[in-house]
Amino acid sequence: MSVDTDSEAREQLIDLAAQFYDQFAEGDVPSMEVPTRTKTNIEYDEDKHVWVYGDRTSTRSAKSIRGAQKLLKAIYTIDFLAQQLDEGRSSTLRELYYLSESWDLDEAQFSSQDESNDLVEDLEIVSGATREDFHMRPEESGATIMGPLKLREQTRRGEREIHCQKDVGEGGYQIPNNPDTIDFLSNDADFVLAVETGGMRDRLVENGFDEEYNALIVHLKGQPARATRRITKRLHDELDLPVTVFTDGDPWSYRIYGSVAYGSIKSAHLSEYLATPEADFIGIRPEDIVEYDLPTDPLSDSDVNALESELEDPRYQTEFWEEQIELQLDIEKKSEQQSLASRGLDFVTDTYLPERLSEMGVL
Amino acid sequence: MTSYQSRLGEGEGIAEELAESQQAISIAEFFEKNKHMLGFDSEARALVTAVKEAVDNALDATEEAGILPDIYVEIQEAGDYYRLIVEDNGPGITREQIPKIFGKLLYGSRFHKREQNRGQQGIGISAAVLYSQLTSGKPAKITSRTEGSAEAEYFELIVDTDTNEPEISEESTTSWERPHGTRIELEMEGNMRARQQLHDYIKHTAVVNPHARIEMREPDEHFKYERATDQLPDETEEIRPHPHGVELGTLIKMLESTDSYSVSGFMQGEFTRVGGKTSDSVIDNFRDRYFGREMTWRPPEAHEDADVETAVEDAVANKGKEATADFAATVAGRIAADDRIAYFQVAEIVDDVAAEVAEEYDTTFGDTVRENAIEAAWQEITTDLTADLYALVDDATTKRKDDAHVQGLAERVAGKFENRTDDARHRVTRADLRSYVGKAAEDTEEFDGATFGETARENVTEAIWERMETVPDDPPKVHDIADERDTASDLLEAMRETDIISPPTGCLSPITADLVEAGLTKEYDADFYAAATRDASVHGGDPFIVEAGIAYGGDVEAEGKAEVMRFANRVPLVYQRGACATTDVVKSINWRNYGLDQPGGSGIPNGPVVVMVHIASTNVPFTSESKDAVANIPEIEDEIELAIREAARELKSYLNKRRSMQQRREKENKLATILPEMAEKIADVTGEEPLDIDDTMARIMNNVLVERRRENGTVELVVENNDDANADLEITDIVDAEPDGVEDGTVVEMDGEWFVKWSPTVGSGEEARLSYGLPNEADCNVSVDGIEEEKLTVTDQ
Repeated sequence: MSVDTDSEAREQLIDLAAQFYDQFAEGDVPSMEVPTRTKTNIEYDEDKHVWVYGDRTSTRSAKSIRGAQKLLKAIYTIDFLAQQLDEGRSSTLRELYYLSESWDLDEAQFSSQDESNDLVEDLEIVSGATREDFHMRPEESGATIMGPLKLREQTRRGEREIHCQKDVGEGGYQIPNNPDTIDFLSNDADFVLAVETGGMRDRLVENGFDEEYNALIVHLKGQPARATRRITKRLHDELDLPVTVFTDGDPWSYRIYGSVAYGSIKSAHLSEYLATPEADFIGIRPEDIVEYDLPTDPLSDSDVNALESELEDPRYQTEFWEEQIELQLDIEKKSEQQSLASRGLDFVTDTYLPERLSEMGVL
Repeated sequence: MTSYQSRLGEGEGIAEELAESQQAISIAEFFEKNKHMLGFDSEARALVTAVKEAVDNALDATEEAGILPDIYVEIQEAGDYYRLIVEDNGPGITREQIPKIFGKLLYGSRFHKREQNRGQQGIGISAAVLYSQLTSGKPAKITSRTEGSAEAEYFELIVDTDTNEPEISEESTTSWERPHGTRIELEMEGNMRARQQLHDYIKHTAVVNPHARIEMREPDEHFKYERATDQLPDETEEIRPHPHGVELGTLIKMLESTDSYSVSGFMQGEFTRVGGKTSDSVIDNFRDRYFGREMTWRPPEAHEDADVETAVEDAVANKGKEATADFAATVAGRIAADDRIAYFQVAEIVDDVAAEVAEEYDTTFGDTVRENAIEAAWQEITTDLTADLYALVDDATTKRKDDAHVQGLAERVAGKFENRTDDARHRVTRADLRSYVGKAAEDTEEFDGATFGETARENVTEAIWERMETVPDDPPKVHDIADERDTASDLLEAMRETDIISPPTGCLSPITADLVEAGLTKEYDADFYAAATRDASVHGGDPFIVEAGIAYGGDVEAEGKAEVMRFANRVPLVYQRGACATTDVVKSINWRNYGLDQPGGSGIPNGPVVVMVHIASTNVPFTSESKDAVANIPEIEDEIELAIREAARELKSYLNKRRSMQQRREKENKLATILPEMAEKIADVTGEEPLDIDDTMARIMNNVLVERRRENGTVELVVENNDDANADLEITDIVDAEPDGVEDGTVVEMDGEWFVKWSPTVGSGEEARLSYGLPNEADCNVSVDGIEEEKLTVTDQ
C-alpha cells in the first residue's frame, strides 16, 4: 500500500468518487464496502508475518439514512482531500473535523472527531493510499529518539542532518509526522529499545544507557502514533536492528507492545507498513513481578476484563502470552516500569535490562 | 337489643304486633322508593329515561312488525314542566291493549321469553307514565292507529296507584296523518341539565340502529339521523333454555313441570341443542355420578392359576354334561376375548350364552344358575387385582417411584375393591375412587415411607377411572330426580360436564360487523373503522353475542380520553359508566400494545378513538333495574375483551402501517435532501455530467417506478417494481392525440382526450413495459392507482 506521488493519491480518491458516479448512473444504490474492523475479523498473514483484516466486510450503503449520510460525508471529504492535494497543503485530523463545520450542508458535517477519523481510515482502505499520502496528519505525538544514529530529514524548510545523540538536547530527536521523509545516514546502534513511559526513558538517558549499550531509545509515549511505529519498523528493516519493547506490566501496556509488533486492529490495513513482527517484549512481565518481588497494585475489574479479552485476541494466542497473562490473572497484581526503582535507581540499567537483554540474545 | 330480649322472654304478642303494621304497599309508594332503580332519580335524568323508554318501545314495535323505524322525538317547554312527545311508525296498538300497556306496571309480552328484545320487564313506559302523573298531575295522552283503520284511537290515562290498573280519563277516536303508528305525550317535571346524555343517547341509538331514521327536536336543537341501511335486523325467535345455563332451582322446577317421563325425553324436550346423541352423553355422565362406574379387570390368562372355565363348569349343576361344558367353554372363551371386563359385561355374556346354550340343548338356565355362573366367573377374574393395578399405577406415576412402593399402593387400592362387602361388582363413583386412592396413598406413606403427592394421586385415580365402564342401568325417572335434590344435582353436573354446542343464535340479533362499521361511519368522520362480531356464547342458559367497533382518527375528538359507547340489545347505556363491565374491560386492556396512548398502561386510552361494545342477549345481566350498566359476569367480560381485541388488532395493523408509511415519508424526505447533494458533489469531483437519481431513489425506497420513454412516435412506460411484494396497478395515460397499437390495454375517448388504460401485475423485482404509438408532439400525462402514494415514483417527461 501507499502511493508514490500526490497526483496518484488524488487519482485514487477521484476513482472512488467515479465508482459512486457509475452506481448512480446505473440506477444502483451507491455503496462502499470496507473490511469489518473488529478483533474477530483479523487474521495472521503467513507471508508477511503481520495481522491483517479477514474476509468479513461491512457495507456503507445509501439504502439507509445513516449509510447515505456516511457516503455524503465521504464524498465531501474526498472533495476536500483532492483539493488539498491539488494545492500541496496539509491538515490535521482535528482540522478536518472542524473544517466540516464550514460545509454548507448540515448532513455532511461530522458529529465527532471519531467519526471523521474513522472515515479517513475507510478512505485509506478503499483507495489503497495512506492518510499521509492525503496529507492528513495527527496532532504531534511528541515521540522521540535518542541514540547513536545520524539521519537527514526533509523538512518544509529544507534538509536537516541530525545526529540523535550529538545534535539534540536531553529530550532527543522528535519524530516527524511522516517519517518517510527521513533518510538514515549512519549509525553505531546495536538495537532499538522502545520505552513506554517518559519517566523510564529519562532514567535510561540520565544513566547513559544509550551510550553504554549503543541503544536507540525510542520513546513511545503511551500507545504509539503511526509515525513512531513506522520509524521503528524502518529502523528494523533498513538498519537491521533488533527491536525490543519495554513497558509497564499491565494489560494496556501489552497492547502497546501488540501494536508495535502485530499492528493495531484499527489500522490492520497498514500492518505491513507499520508493524514490526520481530519486536521482542522485555517486560515488565508478570514473572518479573514474582521474581523481583516488585511493588504492585491490585488488578482492577477492567484490568481483568482486558486480560481476558487479550486471551481471546488472536494476536496474543502464543505460548508466551498465554502463560504470562494467566500468571497475571493468577497473582491478580500489576506493576509499573518505575517500580524497579524499589531496588535502587541504577537497578534497571545495571541489572534488569542487561540480564534480560542477554537472556533474549540481544546483548 | 335488650328490649327485644325482654319481649322475646314474654313469648307472645310480637308477631301480632308486627302483623298490625304489615300492609300492602301501593305501586306509587313502591315507585317513590325505587325510582332510582328505574332511572327516575333526578329531574334531569327522568327526562332522559322517559325518552329512552319510549324510543326503545317504538324501535321494538316497528322491528317486530318488520317496518323500518321512523321515530320522532320532541321535547317542549310547557310552563313549569317539559312535554315529551315520541312518535313511531309501528303497527299501532289495539284499543283494548293501549290502557294496559301504558297504564299498568309489569305488563308485557317479553318477560317470559328467551328472546332478544330491548325492553324486558314491562316496567319502562308505564313507569314513565307514572312519573309524569306524579310530578305534573297530567295524564298521558296516547294516540295509536293500526294499519288499515280509518281513525286513530286516542286515550288520556293515568295509573291507578292503589290497584296498578289503568284509569282512563278520556277515550275517543281522532284523525292522525300517520297511516299506522303510536304517539305518546307526557308532561313531567324535568330539566335539560342532562342534555349531553340525551344527545348521546339519541346519537348512539342511531349508531347501533343504522336501519332507523331518528329525528329529535328539543328547545335548543334539532337533529336528524338518516338511515344507513334498509336491512332490518334479523327477526329473533324464542328458544328453550340451554343445558349449560340452568341453575339447580330452575332445573328442579323444570323437572317438576315437565310432561316427560324419562330423562332422555326430558333433556330432548325441554332444552335447546339436545338431540339423542347429546342426551345419551348427558345420561352416561349422569350414570357415572349417580351409580358410579364398574371397574374392568384383565381376564386370567392361560398360564395363571385362575380358570374361568372350570369355575363356571363347577358352578353349574344339573344341566347335562355336554350343555354345561359347552356353556362353560363359551363363557370362558368370550371373557378371554375381552381385553378388560367389568361385572355387568360378565353378566351380559353369561345371559347371552345361557340363552344360546339353552336353545341348542333344549334346557333352561334359570336365574340362580346364571347368578352362580356369574359369581364363579367373577371370582376367577378378580383373583389377582394387584398385578392389574400395579401396571396402571406404574404407568400413571413417575419413573422414579420405587417398584416396592408402587406395589404397595397397588395392593392397597386392590384391597379397597376386595373389601367391598356390600357390592361385589366393583362399582364406585369417581369421588369414592379418589378416596380409595387417597387412603391407600396415606397408608403407603405411613407404612412404606413412600410419598405419593396430590398430582400422583389424581393421576392414579384418573388412570383407574379411565379403565372403568359406565354401567347400563336405567337412570331414575324424571319425577324421582325431581324429588331428590342430590340426584337433581348429579344430573345438573352431568349436563354441565357434557360438551354441548352453543345455543342457536336465531334468538339473537347482532348488528353484525358490517353494520357496526356502517353505523360508526355514519356518525363519526374517522380515518379508520374496524368491527368484530363474536360467535354466540352462553351465560346462565342465555346465549349472548358481543360485538365491538372502533373508529380512529379523522374528526374524532383527539384531545383527552377515548369515547366508549356501550350498548345492550341495541340500547345505548349512557349512565353509570364506571359500574359497567364494558368500561372495566376497556380499562383493563393494554392499549399500548395496539398502538394507542395509555398513560400508566391501564385505563381508558387517549386519542382520537371511539370504542363501541354491543352485548346482545336474551337476558342481559344488568347491575340494576334502570339498566344502566352490565354486571361483571366473567363469561361476558371475556367475550367483550375478545371482541374488542379482535377489532383492536385491525386498528394496530392500520396504525403500524400508517407509522411505517410516515417513517417511509421521513426517510424519503431525508434521502431526497442527501442524495441530490451527494450526486451533485460527485459530478463536481469527477467532472462528469449532472446525475439523474430517480432510479436510485426508487430502488432505495423499494418503490414502484414508472418511467416514460418517448422515441420516434412511440411511447414506452417502464414499470419497475422494487418492492418485495407484487404490485397490482391501474395505469392511465391521458393523451391529446389518438394513440395506436395499444396492447393489453383499453382506449377510451372523451372530449378530445384519449384514456389509455392498463392493469398490469408486476412481480417483486420485475419490470413491465407498456408501449403504444403516439405522435411526438402530443401531450401525455400518466396517473397510477393501486399503490400507496408513498411507494410510487413517477418520472413523466
